[in-house]
Order: sequence, then C-alpha cells, then structure tokens
Amino acid sequence: MRKKAIFIAMPLLILVMVLAGCPGGKAAGTLEFYANGEDFVRQGFVSKDGWSIQFDHVYITLADIAAYQTDPPYDPQSGSDISGKHTVSLNGAYTIDLAEGGTDASPILVGKVSDVPVGHYNALAFNMARAESGPAAGYSLVMIGTAEKGGQTVEFNIKVEEECEYQCGEYVGDERKGIVAEDGTADLEMTFHFDHIFGSGDLPLDDELNLGAIGFEPFAGSAHVEDVLDMSEMHLGHVGEGHCHCGCQ
Amino acid sequence: MPNKWMVTAAVIGMLVLSLLLPAPALAHGVNIQYSSDIEITIVAKYDSGEPMAGAQVAVYAPDDPSTPWLTGACDDEGRFSFTPDTSIPGTWDVQVRLAGHGGMVHIPVGEDSTASSGGVGGYSYLQLGLMAACVIWGSIGTAFYFRRRRQA
Repeated sequence: MRKKAIFIAMPLLILVMVLAGCPGGKAAGTLEFYANGEDFVRQGFVSKDGWSIQFDHVYITLADIAAYQTDPPYDPQSGSDISGKHTVSLNGAYTIDLAEGGTDASPILVGKVSDVPVGHYNALAFNMARAESGPAAGYSLVMIGTAEKGGQTVEFNIKVEEECEYQCGEYVGDERKGIVAEDGTADLEMTFHFDHIFGSGDLPLDDELNLGAIGFEPFAGSAHVEDVLDMSEMHLGHVGEGHCHCGCQ
Repeated sequence: MPNKWMVTAAVIGMLVLSLLLPAPALAHGVNIQYSSDIEITIVAKYDSGEPMAGAQVAVYAPDDPSTPWLTGACDDEGRFSFTPDTSIPGTWDVQVRLAGHGGMVHIPVGEDSTASSGGVGGYSYLQLGLMAACVIWGSIGTAFYFRRRRQA
C-alpha cells in the first residue's frame, strides 16, 4: 500500500516541478518616458536661410504615449498600426517646455510607469495634441524666442494648432533604450528635430533636410503659420535619430 | 590445408602492404574546403537614394541586445558586411547612423527564437529531462506491477 502511494505520488511531484518551470513569472521593472528638443532648442541654431534662432520657450503637448514590445520589430516605414505582445501606456496629456533648463540641460522626464513587464520596448507611439490649459492652451506646439539676421531682430511667437500622431520603431542613438530588466529602470525618448522646420545653416541648401524645411523667413514677415507650416511634411517627432510614421490634421 | 593457410596469409599481407604503401600523388588534385558561415551585407541609403557613405554601424547579437557585437562603418556605397556567429540564433539587429539620422534593420539568423532558449518544441532541457524521467518511472512501475502479478 505504501509502495503504491509512492508510485502515484512521485510522478505527480515531477509533474508539478515541470509545470513550475514553465514561464509566466511576474518579473517587472520601470519604464520612463522623456522628451528632448536637443541642442537645437537648448542652444539655438542658424536656419537654412541664415536666421540665428534662440528659443525662450517651446511648449509641446504630448498625449496617448505608449511603448510596445513588438516581434517582429515594428517598421515605421510600413505606416501600419503598432501591435505588441506587451503595451505600457502613460495616461494623460503633458505640456512640456523643451527649452527648460540651461544649454546643457538633460532631456525632460514626462512620466514613468512602474511594474511593467521586463523586455525590450522597441516601438513607441505618441500624439502631439492641443493643450487644454496652461501657457499653450489651444495649441499643440508654441515656439517663443528671438531670431536675428543682418542686424534685424525678430521676436517670434509661433503657434501651431495641428495635431499629429507619431508611430515609431526603436530608439536610434548612442545607446539602445527601452530594455527593461527585472527590478531595473529603462527609458525611452520622444525626440523633436526643429531643424526639420527651419532647416540648418550647417548644411547645403540642396541637402534633403533643407529642401523639406521652410526656413525662418516666412515667420519674419506677416504670414500666418497655417499658411506656411504643414506639420505632416515637417517630420518633427523622432525616437533619437530614428524616424517615425507621422500623420497630422 | 597448408595451402589454405598460405593463401590466407598472402591476402592479409597484401592488405597490410596496401595500407602501408603511400598513395600516389595526383598532379591535378584539388583541395576544396567549405565553410557554412554566412556573410550578411546591408546597403544603407537615404530615402532620396543617396548612399549613407561612412555611416556608423553597430551590430547587436540576440543574446546581448545592449552591447554591440561589432561596430564599423559603411563604405562609399553605403555597404557593410559581417559574418554573424551562427551559434547565436535569433534576430540580429543592425543600427546605421549618419549626421543625426539613422535606422535599424532586423535580420533573422539560424533557427527561430524558440530554439535560442535552449530546448526543443518550446520546452527547456530541464523540462524535457523531467518528462523523460516520468516516462521511465512509469515504465518501471508497470514492469514491477506485471512481475508481481505473475509471481502471485
């Protein structure tokens, strides 16, 4: 009787051990979301048409921020929606001043989410949405500053109403981002390239970036922003140096 | 009878001799060796079609996504070649960057990612071992059961 019990109990015990070895643990970490206007915003730059631009404030409102673990990795060139086996959402809308801090300021922490599944968050989506309140109320992007060229100084306050959706793949930069280890913290970055709007005086006029940028000259006159600025053509939102699929309206 | 022994000895002797004598050299022999390594070549261009000449390249192996397995630069035509370690199957990621713009390409190498976790059919080797132990245990138990019945 005792032997019979052992014969029954042992395979059951082994079965339990096998099942216990199956994946499905609760390994988790923290994911932080940053916004970065890069040195263009913090230090200023010269536009493709020779205007030296300095920013006092660059208010951008970000909403519907979500990170994904995608396999196969999401390709922003496809233009399709992102679907991942794990999705981490940062709820709410956030108005950020990308010009905040000094010339060497770090990227700005937008928010963080704790207890997220470990793994590589290799896709990111976010919206540039109209702010409901605050210094940029009614606008998705407000750029305030000074531009100088040939002794002429222009104080600008450029307000953009268009809202844009950005769907991006993996962050591209000096280091890989978004790899969450157990009990660890990883970060992702929404990066905004303002030389895509104003162009760069460091590049030839026939460079592809300058061909797509409108420069500062239109803003020096009396032109309305909506007449000269089509945000879907500007490709402002990036992940580091990586491009995103963009749709604006 | 002695003739039989002599014939046998002669045959064995010839065999031994044939093994000991050097094989004649073949003047037109060829020596072809092969390697199963695969070389991967990427070509990086801007959307305009302009090659990303001199772009920085970082190759990441599937077993360490944080640290570059290899770094290098594209040639004037935006080409970069490397030979991945096929003992590390899975998706190899190649990052290309130049002048503030870049992208990534993801290249599957070897078996699919389930194999890279060290097991078969989605089970780890530990799980497979335990399952085999269960089967063996069951077989021994069955054998004992029938043996006992026969003795009774």
